Amino acid sequence: MSEPSVLHNTFVIERSYPHAPQKVFAAFADPAKKRRWFAEGHSHDVDEFTMDFRVGGKEHSAYTFKEGTPFPGVPLVTESTFLDIMPDERIVQAGNMAIGGKRISATMVTIELQPADAGTKLVCTHQGAFFEGSGGPEMREQGWRKLLDQLEANLAT
Amino acid sequence: MPQAAVRSANRIDRLFHALGDGTRRSIVETLRRKPHSVSHLAGSLGISLTAVGQHLQILEASKLVLTKKSGRVRECRLNAAGFQTLEDWARAHRTMWEERLDQLGKLLDEE
Repeated sequence: MSEPSVLHNTFVIERSYPHAPQKVFAAFADPAKKRRWFAEGHSHDVDEFTMDFRVGGKEHSAYTFKEGTPFPGVPLVTESTFLDIMPDERIVQAGNMAIGGKRISATMVTIELQPADAGTKLVCTHQGAFFEGSGGPEMREQGWRKLLDQLEANLAT
Repeated sequence: MPQAAVRSANRIDRLFHALGDGTRRSIVETLRRKPHSVSHLAGSLGISLTAVGQHLQILEASKLVLTKKSGRVRECRLNAAGFQTLEDWARAHRTMWEERLDQLGKLLDEE
């Protein structure tokens, strides 16, 4: 059985926040705020995060995976463009992601903010095309080697 | 422990089970060089066809090895996708967004 070259995948995540849509929207529109919840994370260090929040504007992020992940020390870079912005209501953004220098996905994310009794209902629709970079098998080989190293280390203790 | 790390740990646990056996590791190392038939593997490892079959079942179940029957010969090869499939990448994106939206909730509550 051979693997298809592109996997198309869409997922939807919903959240309810006890805050007004304007406040939720501001957390997307302000680069300093967005960095804190969007870019910062347990599994990686943030090397760069910049955002020009307007239709046609770009967002750029560069991370490095930490120890304890399958790819310690490996860089992750995303580039995206804002396709549509309706203040307090909707943000549509599309871009790509590269891990270890190889592009692995292209995605379009739509954020909808709907007023609700308790504040805001947020709907995140993520449509992605996942594929091999030109070095796909190499990167899996790298991941494979690291896994075997981890296994060796664990069996030795 | 963050969700992404837990998922990585579970995946590694499954692979540890598959690779925690010396014979299975030998099979994987042999297949890294090139594909082999089941009977060739049995011969080079000095074990029965049945024993190889059992090991291959476990390796196939953890997506490390693929086998295909061509006529009377069953050929085995390493599944290059075994470590990280496209589905894993899609899942990882979802996990990232789940965590981001959780963090957004906390940030909004703190403001």
